[in-house]
Amino acid sequence: MSALLAGIVLAPLLSSVLIGLLYMISITQKPLAKMWFTAPALLAPFISFSLGVIAFLQISKTGEALHFEPYLWLSVGEYKIYMGFLGDKLSIFMVLFITFVGWLIHLYATSYMSEDKGYGKFFFYFNLFLSSMLLLVLADGPLIMFIGWEGVGLCSYLLISFYFKDNSNVVAGNKAFIVNRVGDLGFLIGLAILFFYCADAGFSYENIALKIASMPPYLLPLVGLALFIGAMGKSAQIPLYVWLPDAMAGPTPVSALIHAATMVTAGVYMVARFSFLYELIPNVGLFIAYIGAFSALFAAVIATKQSDIKKILAYSTMSQLGYMFIAVGLGAYSSALFHVFTHAFFKALLFMGAGAVIVALHHEQNIFKMGKMRQVTPVVYVTMLMATLAISGVPPFAGFFSKDEILLVAFGRGEYLIWGIAVFSAVLTAYYMFRLFFVVFEGKNALHVNHPHDVSWVMKAPLVVLSFGALFAGFIGLPSLLGGSHLIGSWLGEWGGRVLHVNHETEWLLLALNVCVSLLGIGIAYKKFYAYDLSKHKEATGIVYNKFYVDEIYDVLFVRSLRKLSEFIAVSLDVNIVDRFIMGLSHDFIKLGHMVALVQNANVRFYALIMMVGVSVASCYLIWMVD
Amino acid sequence: MHIGILSIIIFLPMVTALVFMLAPLSSRTTRNAAFGVSLTIFALALYIYTHFELTGLIQFKEFYPWIKSYGISYSLGIDGFSLIILMLIATLIPSAYLLLWNNSRSKSYWISMLFIQSGISGTLFSLDLFLFYFFWEAMLLPVFMIIGLFGSGNRVFSTLKITIYTIMGSLFMFVSILYLGVAHYYEFGVWSFALSDLVHITTIAREQKIFLFFGFMLAFAIKIPLFPFHSWLLQTYSTSPTGGVFLLSSIMAKLGVYALVRFMMPLFPDLFVEFSFYFVALGIFGLVYFGIAAICQMNIKKMFAYSSASHLGFITAGIFALNIQGMMGSAFLIVAHAIATGGLFLLVGVMERHLGIRSLSGLGGIATKAPWFTLFFAIMLFCTVGIPGTNGFVAELLIVLGIFHYNPYLGVLSALTVLVAASYMFWVFQKAILVESDNDVANMKDLRGYEILGLLPLAVLIIAMGVYPDLFLYKIEPTLQHYLIDILHVGVK
Amino acid sequence: MITNPLFAYMAVAMILFSIGLLGVVSRKNIFVIYMSIELMLNAINLMFVALSNYHHDMGGQVMAMMVIAIAAAEAGVFLSLIIVLYRRKKSLDSDIFRTLSQKEVV
Repeated sequence: MSALLAGIVLAPLLSSVLIGLLYMISITQKPLAKMWFTAPALLAPFISFSLGVIAFLQISKTGEALHFEPYLWLSVGEYKIYMGFLGDKLSIFMVLFITFVGWLIHLYATSYMSEDKGYGKFFFYFNLFLSSMLLLVLADGPLIMFIGWEGVGLCSYLLISFYFKDNSNVVAGNKAFIVNRVGDLGFLIGLAILFFYCADAGFSYENIALKIASMPPYLLPLVGLALFIGAMGKSAQIPLYVWLPDAMAGPTPVSALIHAATMVTAGVYMVARFSFLYELIPNVGLFIAYIGAFSALFAAVIATKQSDIKKILAYSTMSQLGYMFIAVGLGAYSSALFHVFTHAFFKALLFMGAGAVIVALHHEQNIFKMGKMRQVTPVVYVTMLMATLAISGVPPFAGFFSKDEILLVAFGRGEYLIWGIAVFSAVLTAYYMFRLFFVVFEGKNALHVNHPHDVSWVMKAPLVVLSFGALFAGFIGLPSLLGGSHLIGSWLGEWGGRVLHVNHETEWLLLALNVCVSLLGIGIAYKKFYAYDLSKHKEATGIVYNKFYVDEIYDVLFVRSLRKLSEFIAVSLDVNIVDRFIMGLSHDFIKLGHMVALVQNANVRFYALIMMVGVSVASCYLIWMVD
Repeated sequence: MHIGILSIIIFLPMVTALVFMLAPLSSRTTRNAAFGVSLTIFALALYIYTHFELTGLIQFKEFYPWIKSYGISYSLGIDGFSLIILMLIATLIPSAYLLLWNNSRSKSYWISMLFIQSGISGTLFSLDLFLFYFFWEAMLLPVFMIIGLFGSGNRVFSTLKITIYTIMGSLFMFVSILYLGVAHYYEFGVWSFALSDLVHITTIAREQKIFLFFGFMLAFAIKIPLFPFHSWLLQTYSTSPTGGVFLLSSIMAKLGVYALVRFMMPLFPDLFVEFSFYFVALGIFGLVYFGIAAICQMNIKKMFAYSSASHLGFITAGIFALNIQGMMGSAFLIVAHAIATGGLFLLVGVMERHLGIRSLSGLGGIATKAPWFTLFFAIMLFCTVGIPGTNGFVAELLIVLGIFHYNPYLGVLSALTVLVAASYMFWVFQKAILVESDNDVANMKDLRGYEILGLLPLAVLIIAMGVYPDLFLYKIEPTLQHYLIDILHVGVK
Repeated sequence: MITNPLFAYMAVAMILFSIGLLGVVSRKNIFVIYMSIELMLNAINLMFVALSNYHHDMGGQVMAMMVIAIAAAEAGVFLSLIIVLYRRKKSLDSDIFRTLSQKEVV
């Protein structure tokens, strides 16, 4: 039964290998029909989802987690690391929405990528990504998780630089990979420290949790911080977020799946997984929450001035991730996971809707060149409206409940600064999201460059399904205040976090405040953009539009200086100093040889003189020194 | 006279080479014979692998007295560490032959390759210090010939450079070997150069021991190479023909590391432990230094040369970390790096053959013209960078863990390995393979069937070792434990 | 010692030998070098004979006879060489024969 955990990971993996082989055949021998790729590509996530549902039912029934250890991965000295899977409530919860949303996005992608020559290659990467993500959440220890962690980073690179002929796409892919790797550096250090102290009986979460108390206390914050650095990179928080906006260079399904629903939430998952550690170091947790808050604010500010539809959504992802980190930082793991869950639905929907609009307008991505799309694609209009309402935190849509809970946690813990920042970011979120919505779907004097057309039902169907999610997903976390039983919190049990002491009146007040805040943002956006005259739009300038010049700063600080250092080493040091020294040695030898060769000057009388001197010295020695 | 399997492995290529040198057979026959010999050796190595016992001691021993009056013996043997390098050689060289198939019309190329293979095997199996030195030098001379005759650019200068530089280092090692032999005579009244006898010497003063230790280390530091004895590297790698550079980087450099373990650990265990910190630091320094220097290189071969040096520094650091993780990681990285870098050099050789250029500024957009090439390049790249799923990841992880055990601060520095290789490898992938440029790469053809066949085992090994590392490591673990516990008296952790 | 009759002979022989030695080293003309060599040989002869007489030992005179014979043979060889060398370089300057030197060899 627990072997089905391996099945969840293996199905997309085998499918991707199959697709890869078929693709190689297709480009080197005979081109194959698209159905060869589509069938396994769609089947695999469906299988994973089904297995996930079975596992969910199983653990709900028995209340016990599933363990599966197929083989010994590495045995070194006393340490044995097993390739192992853990299916407990947290991981199965993640598996369910990853495979469900993932399956819908795969379906969407079959239409989005249908014209592309690299169709097979796309699904090879896409399924491989899904497999790595599932490995990440189903791993039973941080090392196996790290395999999935890096795997999703790799697939992210492959998918971002999918249109690799263009230099900027490959650069974006490189950036994503390397910034992720900087985060992984921290993760590896944390991993190594944990390994040192906790790996005696096997390197799984349960064993580590048992041994964590025996570690020297000064190390715990170090480990927590180091692991969080990995999360910073993977989940695009300050300061390792710079890859996320550039990652929009990849095809839109990639942005939807990877950079909205799954990979970027891996950091949140990781912190939740290590809750046993973070419970012991609340200061680090507070730091995490602050980083989350500032990332949320920073991204929201930048998003208010961006004009590329995908970049706006990218910054909004970073902003929402900030909310999630506020929650995990303050120990409210189930709240964060609740937001992960709802965010997956509406963000994937937003990206897919954006993709539909982009395709409808023949690959136009600037929102100010759109407008009046309401008539062109009414289905997209409705579904995106639902998603935008969800992200803006309007009840009863999904985002409202999860965001409200996080704000409640912040307020209830007494972190008023964080709460304030989060509330302000919520205003901004509603504002820029509806700015996007109104400019794209409403507005006046739209400058449609090409004649826009509607998109196929294959792309629209997932949108509709997800919109139901955006509408109803919030109800699994309906707080007791409103009569619900907070299913998700109670189900996730030990990750529910500490109990809050907020009385009901304050809760109602905060709830109302959140609604007002959202409506405020929507109202401002409505006033400015509902009837926006697109023909009179001027391209924005200024520091906010230029993302506070962070990319440029990073470029100078790291990229250029690294190149300079490299040139310095390779040219000045290595060639001029080290090599010169060695060559100098050999030249000195040659010069010495020349000097000695002076004796051989073929002057007969000189030789005679040397002979005379030599004989004299020898004779003197023999006569006077030897007795 | 009983001929052991190790002797066959050493002398079969040599005898074949001599036969073909003297007989008036064509270059094509020589090449086919060389390929056949390499496959035979693969079969023999497989036999040894399957019959290898997990005792941690030396097996398949052979012993004949050679120069009796000075105790020099023809003594061969294999233990876990040499086993894994033997398997490496046995698997890589046939693949290399497949990729070098059309590289030369000249007989001497193949004959030199055979001699090099003999020399390498001899170095690997020698248990007698004198014999080891003999093969150490013998493996260098055919390299001299290959680079000097078949290289490109300033080949005579570079072949002289590597030969003289290496021999100079070996001279110091030779002096140390002779000193050890004489010391043995003074202490025991009997001449012997066998390793098992020399380890019992106790009468050498500490100052002299240090001198001997560094005498040996100089030769190995030049071979590996360790900073600052690396200046032969660039010149040689960029002017060498593909076969030469492949053998140099994949195999001969590893023999320097192997000799460290085989000879330095048993002969000078206390000094080994005492100086380990400096060598770990030096190794990590090399990792970062060479890695950064690789970034700005425009010549692909030079970039890979620096990449090689970077990884080899890391391997050395792992060995000196004095724990089982570090040593296992080093053994694994030896294999991973040899396969990946060897594969990359062979691929660059293919590219050179089609396009004639090695500079990044003249390349671009190969991916669409040569998909198989790109696929294998990508797999080797991922292994070099250390992405999980490849053996490169397992190896680097183990070494990082090992160095962490040894010293946490060095461990933090060693974690930089995740960044180093990524920075230049992805750059070269972007510039040379993926992005289309204006340069004329129309002549680039994809890999042919036999070339794919040659690279396939490498790719499969990279992934298989990454997915199930224990399958490949369990045979060598007892040997490494033996080294750590019995020889260095360092505990297991 | 000076009054010793042997001393006079030894002194003369030494002086002759020194003159010959200096001549070999410092003169350029090949003939003069040869003459100096002969002078040295004769000086040695003188010394042998004088010592033989002093010690009443016939060995010295036997040696002197041998030296004379060898000197004669050497003369033959030396003079033939000089003739051949002169034919090559048309000069009797010993400094001219430099082909084995470091700088001359190309």
